[in-house]
Amino acid sequence: MTIRHHLSDDTLLAYANGTLASTLSVVAATHLAICPKCRNQLEFIFAAGAAELEVLEPDFGSGLDLSIIDEITQLPQEASSIKPENLTLQTTDEKQVPKPLRNILPCELDDIPWKRLVPGISHYPLKGFANPDGKGALRLLKISPGMVMVEHSHSGQELTLILRGSYIDEVGRFAQGDLADLDDNLHHQPVADTDQDCICLIATDSPLKFKGFFSRLLQPLIGI
Amino acid sequence: MKAVLKMASSNGFENHHGCPSNLRSELDKDLFAVGSSADKEAFKRIYLEMGPKLKAYLVKTGQSQSEADEILQETLIKVWRKASLFNPAKSSANTWIYSVAKNARIDRIRKETRPKPDPEDPSFVPDPPETGEDSVNRIQDERLIRAAMQVLSSDQAQIIKMSFFEDKSHAEISAELDLPLGTVKSRIRLAFGKIRNEVEKLS
Repeated sequence: MTIRHHLSDDTLLAYANGTLASTLSVVAATHLAICPKCRNQLEFIFAAGAAELEVLEPDFGSGLDLSIIDEITQLPQEASSIKPENLTLQTTDEKQVPKPLRNILPCELDDIPWKRLVPGISHYPLKGFANPDGKGALRLLKISPGMVMVEHSHSGQELTLILRGSYIDEVGRFAQGDLADLDDNLHHQPVADTDQDCICLIATDSPLKFKGFFSRLLQPLIGI
Repeated sequence: MKAVLKMASSNGFENHHGCPSNLRSELDKDLFAVGSSADKEAFKRIYLEMGPKLKAYLVKTGQSQSEADEILQETLIKVWRKASLFNPAKSSANTWIYSVAKNARIDRIRKETRPKPDPEDPSFVPDPPETGEDSVNRIQDERLIRAAMQVLSSDQAQIIKMSFFEDKSHAEISAELDLPLGTVKSRIRLAFGKIRNEVEKLS
């Protein structure tokens, strides 16, 4: 798996600060689990924050309480799971989805009870993961080979992680592991471009805007 | 299925005994000592060094004195318990401890655990094995980053500060500075691009 499309720095910064919408955070964490490059970028952002820490005036409050040190050092420590002498061959299981997503799926990806939206396109909403403001959604989407998604744009942010297959749109080709970090005002129309179903995890922080009259009519019905 | 050699380097060990060669500050050495030999004196030094800084950060991001003290205590407990997971090849102790505090703060405010990747997950893709040279490049040198941040324009620096110190969301920054959200995001991207470029030039 070669990942070509990544999380943008502004999304990583929001994730690092805990200000990214919950729905978007699930997709970000799922991508981070399989993308060493984005984890390194995230580390860079934390390092920039830690560097900024240096310019703050230290706050001694009402003095340092050394007794908590004695208390804390009584606690057991966690053993490092990775021993230096353990040069083990670890296999990465690409059949499974990464934990941040797996934790909220009711079953394996292969057993998802898909709901058909229109012929060739089904979805599975991951409810119970709403943002505090009630806006936005998290869902799985399955696009059959050659199917064209309805052209749409976003009023907010949309993160799409490709779990299986691939699609192509105005931005480029997105294959397994790739993440499309799309801003508002981008109109796009993904097409599944191989003979395999394209399964993606999509999070938004506000409703999508459909372009055509017909698809706008459909929107309340399909509930995207 | 793809086999990946999970290297010991993911724990920062260059050799199989003693201290790894990439402990670069006293704080790095102390945190490593806490993780490898439960060194209580080293832990105390970490507390004296980092406690007041983290307290200042927590108060600055809007916590009350008592909340800040509680989050600080949670942070210290995590640092003690999880010190063996500190990987000096990837981050400095300063950054590592800062991340722990930041996460403790976020988990408390959001009242839910934010999803995070788990290195123990069978689907986790570990970092590729590195040569010694790469691993040097991967360490995020805060000294260089701090120097590099001086090249930011005042507009960019302001947004980065609001993000880190006031923990404002992009939307809040956009409202407060009366800028379109897209402008806030593109300034953040430009700022980090600039910092990264400058770090490369300096190193």
